[in-house]
Amino acid sequence: MASKGPVEGPSIGFDFSNYARNQYLGQTMGGLPKATSTGTTIVGMKFGGGDSGEEEGIVLGADTRATAGSIVADKNCEKIHYLTPNMRCCGAGTAADTEFVTNLISSNLELHALSQGKPARVVTAMTMLKQYLFRYQGHVGAYLVLGGVDSTGAHLFAVQAHGSTDKLPYMTLGSGSLAAMAMFESSFKQNMKREEAIALVARAIRAGVFNDLGSGSNVDVAVITKAGTEMLRNYEMPNERGVKSRNYKFRRGTTAWTKEDVRNLLVSEEVAVTAGAGKLQDTTEASQGMEVDA
Amino acid sequence: MGSPMEYNGGSVVAMVGKDCVAIATDLRLGQQSIGVAYNFDKVVAVNDKLYYGLPGLATDVYSLREHLRFRVNMYRMKEEREITPKTFTHLVSSSLYEKRFGPWFIEPVVAGLPQPTELDPHPKPFISTMDTIGCITTPKDFAVAGTAADKLYGAAEGLWEPDLEPDDLFETISQTLLNAVDRDCLSGWGAIVHVITQDKVVTRRLRSRMD
Amino acid sequence: MSDAPGGGGGAYSFSLTTFSPSGKLVQIEHALAAVAGGDTSLGIKATNGVVLATDKKAPSLLLDTSALEKVAPICPNIGFVYSGMGPDFRVLVAKARKIAQAYWKVYGEYPPTKVLVQEVAGVMQKATQSGGVRPYGISLLIAGWDAHRGQSLYQVDPSGSYWAWKASAIGKNTVNGKTFLEKRYNDDLSLEDAIHTALLTLKEGFEGQMTENTIEIGIVTCPTADQLVEKPGERLPPTFRKLTEAEVRDYLAL
Repeated sequence: MASKGPVEGPSIGFDFSNYARNQYLGQTMGGLPKATSTGTTIVGMKFGGGDSGEEEGIVLGADTRATAGSIVADKNCEKIHYLTPNMRCCGAGTAADTEFVTNLISSNLELHALSQGKPARVVTAMTMLKQYLFRYQGHVGAYLVLGGVDSTGAHLFAVQAHGSTDKLPYMTLGSGSLAAMAMFESSFKQNMKREEAIALVARAIRAGVFNDLGSGSNVDVAVITKAGTEMLRNYEMPNERGVKSRNYKFRRGTTAWTKEDVRNLLVSEEVAVTAGAGKLQDTTEASQGMEVDA
Repeated sequence: MGSPMEYNGGSVVAMVGKDCVAIATDLRLGQQSIGVAYNFDKVVAVNDKLYYGLPGLATDVYSLREHLRFRVNMYRMKEEREITPKTFTHLVSSSLYEKRFGPWFIEPVVAGLPQPTELDPHPKPFISTMDTIGCITTPKDFAVAGTAADKLYGAAEGLWEPDLEPDDLFETISQTLLNAVDRDCLSGWGAIVHVITQDKVVTRRLRSRMD
Repeated sequence: MSDAPGGGGGAYSFSLTTFSPSGKLVQIEHALAAVAGGDTSLGIKATNGVVLATDKKAPSLLLDTSALEKVAPICPNIGFVYSGMGPDFRVLVAKARKIAQAYWKVYGEYPPTKVLVQEVAGVMQKATQSGGVRPYGISLLIAGWDAHRGQSLYQVDPSGSYWAWKASAIGKNTVNGKTFLEKRYNDDLSLEDAIHTALLTLKEGFEGQMTENTIEIGIVTCPTADQLVEKPGERLPPTFRKLTEAEVRDYLAL
């Protein structure tokens, strides 16, 4: 099979060996399974600079709900992905694609930084992402908000699955993007202070969480400045589950079982004391023999 | 007429307890509504304290299980150590994503206890699950997959609580599975539960409805 | 055939993959000669880390040494240093970095030192058995840390052979260097001690002045338990890093 290359890893790219079979199965049985998607609210904005008296930076925000159809597949997933120490990327769309595409680019950015001897720029990450996504013509379903600070300042980009990009001072993506954009359109100002920016981003995510079914649970925030990235995981938790006042613990022995197999993982051994090789293993006799010599 | 994910039926659930994990599966193998076998164990051991379950299309259960057996054996020989639950999850995930455009019809569930080490003497119990193309979820409470997933979510959400002792975890995971599969035509026909602690693994076959 | 290409190796020096009757692959011996002529590099394993050090003397005053890099980080937990041919080193470093990233993409963690050493040794061995290539003209010292084996130090030769060392030296003055290390080494050396021992060893037979511009140092620092706790959305701090010029200057002043 396709296990070649170093360390038994997948060679490169994708393996289409099941494709024809799956098309057939899809036709005869109807419907192929849907992958986990992040029917998401993700946002990003620039802050600082100008006459704000603060260094410019980026605030990214995301909700934490992952869905499979109408089922909540993960109540507290992480949608702000690591790229480099000074770059993060929010992902919406097919969850696996956002995860793997950001991992791939993160890996390539590390190689890039190592060979260039300096950190990669945000435009470099953006170009790598768009070229990769364009190559797959939108079939790799990653919709991203990319933010970071590099030697040329703070930058914010949106990258669509087909490979197009936008450069804007604030942006929202995902099924909750309309709700979130309403917050930005009414409250965004240039050169906001850091704390104002975090509050606005959190409010935008909250708008998604409470008004869009595809978004939910908590608010994740990342603040990126020249000094580095501050991850504010679960910055707000407005949907904590209530504590059950009673429990449904079953009495031991409730469940009937027919067969039991206990696999003991503790290795125990018994040590028989012997008094030297070839001798009888009776210790009294052996010690008597010893006394003759002594 | 249903998708490949529903063709053979079957479900797996994993739960975290206090210094223990449990993973359980039903035993049905069907062909749509027809029951074919009641000994189709979808959970296998990777090593002493790491188990995983592969609910989904049965033909892919075999293919993926063999693929992972190969990869884990190669890992064991090359690295001269046992694979950890977290590393194994990444291995499964990257194996699935390699077939992003022609996936295995499987949603794996992993449950394991990491080996205590000098730097980490009290490792946390680990469970994880993936979709068909390898997107990892690592819940703190429970993971479900298969044709009874919807029902398992509901049952587990109500029955699970933190810090269950191994004996209590057995009851909770067993009741979660049994009651969920009772409302799923495609799952059931017996079940197997593994409760993993640092000292031992208790495997029990459950008495269940056979209709 | 006394004037066969390759010179000095006799009739069996023309082909890389032909054994001489005495069982030697002459081209590999020549590669080792290239290593033995290279600037000295050394490594010492300590109780809480590893140090790699190398002589980075410029052949001319006019050379800008700040652009020269002989100690190379491969991934956050592993670093290389070499003796021999610079260009061959850079090719191998690029390959090793790719191997490390390929491993990360599959397993979600960086390779243990031994696994990366075996992979790189495999690359070097391939160059002793393939058509149209020559062996790599370098020996490597590889320092790394991993959760399974802790800190470790390896040497890889052009043949693809590798060894785990407590301390080793390669390049010029290897014999003297190793003798010196044998005298100075003990099993409870701390990283600080090891760095000083490395500098003293390098000083033996060093031509010219040892300054932050003429040597390079890389260190592995064993992490503490709480440094290994993963925070959401962040990476663990690297265990391998190069010392800055200022740090090297401070060590030299002591």
